Amino acid sequence: MTASIDNHWYPVAMISGIHAPRETLLLGKKITLGRERGTCWVKDASGNELPIVERFGHLWTSPGQPNRDLFTIPEADSPGRRLVDVGSVKVKCSPLRAVENFLDIAHFPFVHTDILGAEPHTEVDRYDVKIREEVDEVWATKVKFFQPQAAKSAEGGITTEYMYRVPAPTCSVLYKTCPPRPGEWDVITLFVQPLTDEWCEVWPWMALYDDDSTMSEMVSFQQLIFMQDRSILENQLPRKLPLDPGMETPTQADMTSVAYRRWLKKIGYTYGAQLVAA
Amino acid sequence: MDWVAVALKDDVPPGVVIPSRIEDTDLAIWCTPSGRYHAWSDRCPHRGMRLSHGFVRGDTLACIYHGWQYNEEGACDYIPAHPKLTPPNTICVPTYTCTEAGGVIWVSLNKTDSALPALGGRKPVRSLPINLSATDLAAHFGAEDYTTIAVVSDHDVLIAVQPCTDNACMAHVLASPDTDRTTVSRWLEDLRATLEGMPA
Repeated sequence: MTASIDNHWYPVAMISGIHAPRETLLLGKKITLGRERGTCWVKDASGNELPIVERFGHLWTSPGQPNRDLFTIPEADSPGRRLVDVGSVKVKCSPLRAVENFLDIAHFPFVHTDILGAEPHTEVDRYDVKIREEVDEVWATKVKFFQPQAAKSAEGGITTEYMYRVPAPTCSVLYKTCPPRPGEWDVITLFVQPLTDEWCEVWPWMALYDDDSTMSEMVSFQQLIFMQDRSILENQLPRKLPLDPGMETPTQADMTSVAYRRWLKKIGYTYGAQLVAA
Repeated sequence: MDWVAVALKDDVPPGVVIPSRIEDTDLAIWCTPSGRYHAWSDRCPHRGMRLSHGFVRGDTLACIYHGWQYNEEGACDYIPAHPKLTPPNTICVPTYTCTEAGGVIWVSLNKTDSALPALGGRKPVRSLPINLSATDLAAHFGAEDYTTIAVVSDHDVLIAVQPCTDNACMAHVLASPDTDRTTVSRWLEDLRATLEGMPA
């Protein structure tokens, strides 16, 4: 493995879900994690302690030497938000495919039919995408889409505005129109733990303004959405994400995915990627 | 390899798409509303999604991921995210020769002038997966080739063998119209039990 892969922070558990010590995989290698007297720990297969960060309700670690702190989401700290630990879903696909699917809106009418999208409202207007060099993150802004039921708290169809942010190779943050509070953004994240290069554990997490729905209603809504995504992710060929052009055919609606693939290539993040057209 | 049986006609009614495979080639087999059969690579050129999870709409096969529609030549003719766009003709799915005869859907991965296998008037009974290579199944009956194997010892049966992986095949079984279908079906299950119970 190389530094360009090892030196990132990875989610490995929901803190509230850590009871007895347990084993899991990170980048194909066994690790052990646990929590004693309120403090979490992670060890590699040889018993060496790995660095940790506790943030966004999740435990993060790194097999390498991260040269920067785990990203922050300042918006999520504003008062009045409900912080939702959604749980996790294991998916038989590259961690990069899981992130890319999260960045995609064109699939809403077909995969999340009558929830996040519906025919005939399929058109994806041009939006802005750039790699923000100063923070080394991918951002897509001014993304707009008509949604029959944008969130648990939405009543009827609305045109939702989105911003997408990729602050780390296996993480994405979505800022989305907040139905009860126009002017604020709901925050929905996808934290992906690369178990191997073709198997991942996905930890969605949310920071929402929603005074009415119960916690389990908000969790169920997000789990339903992700189960629908899983039926796609486990049936893409190849399982790894092709980074070289030629094997797959993007259109204008895929500008975020194109930028994500280009950025992965630029930073040398090849775990879960397919580099040569098969 | 020329004609290979990939499904029985009754299992792919009009408007339906199913997954199938011939060795390393994953296939989407689908039937138009008016009854024309197609065998395509089971992979949408856009994002690699299996087309066999898609849906038939009019005379097109649409991918379930983003709704891209492909006409009967395999060319993309509609991208829902860009309804006003005429897709470039470079976006197309690899297609294979496919036809229906005798209640069986036949595919050839290469261009072929060969005649379709003779079925001797037999009618399809059922398909059954067997954990044995097509070659080994043929060898069990002393047959050289596995495209079709005639077995006349027990019943007047013909097995159209579809090679799937190194250790699995699909047996599409046909029998003469006056044979009892239930009896043939049980014979096939017994055959599978015998074959799969054999030491490797």
